[in-house]
Amino acid sequence: MSLASQPRHGYALIKDIETLSNHRVRLSTGTLYGALRRLLDDLWIERFEQEDTSRDKQAYRLTAEGRRQLQLELERLKQLTRVGIARLRMNEA
Amino acid sequence: MTLAYRALFRLYPRDHRTCFGAEMQSVFEEAAQEHRSRGRAAYLRFVLAEYAGLVSGAGTAWAVKLAGRGYLHDQHLARPAAVALPGEVQEAQDRLTANLTGLLHAISHHQFLKARVYAAEEQKAREELRLLREKYNIAESGDLV
Repeated sequence: MSLASQPRHGYALIKDIETLSNHRVRLSTGTLYGALRRLLDDLWIERFEQEDTSRDKQAYRLTAEGRRQLQLELERLKQLTRVGIARLRMNEA
Repeated sequence: MTLAYRALFRLYPRDHRTCFGAEMQSVFEEAAQEHRSRGRAAYLRFVLAEYAGLVSGAGTAWAVKLAGRGYLHDQHLARPAAVALPGEVQEAQDRLTANLTGLLHAISHHQFLKARVYAAEEQKAREELRLLREKYNIAESGDLV
């Protein structure tokens, strides 16, 4: 999800995920690169040289398939939230 | 700390190290710099989390590699072709995996004496595998040369 709005390099991903989770999740480099490797394998993201930084940095961006999978996952979560809220209301009524 | 990071990073399979080594270290250094400025306790927590992440990440990377689930299709590494390995090579590879898994498990549970035994066995298994690969003319990726 961190890559949905723009490509990011490793450290920027760690910082963004920390912000997205309200500082509850801070990925270690081992965890981050394990996840990136799986996403590369599934061809949901791709790696490229980011040219607009002062240092040479590999950055990551979503592929079209990755974007599609993200949309599906967000839809699934939306549906799950709807069901959860409906059940809570049913219990309260 | 960087030396310890590099030492633990050697637990990863070679293809992972080749593909992500420099990048992971650069991200670690950048994050370390930030945590150093937050005080000693924050820095220590960060370093311990990083080391634990490396050990568990290495275990996962080996599991993925040895299960034959290739990864890294990008321009940096090509997926190795699947080949049937001779029986004794496969057995040696399994022994290496078992010892490596034991080593990672022992380290992550702070059983350092056990870890030393596994480390010695892992070295022995690695050497045995190297000799068998030479015998059958097999490259490290598993491809027949």
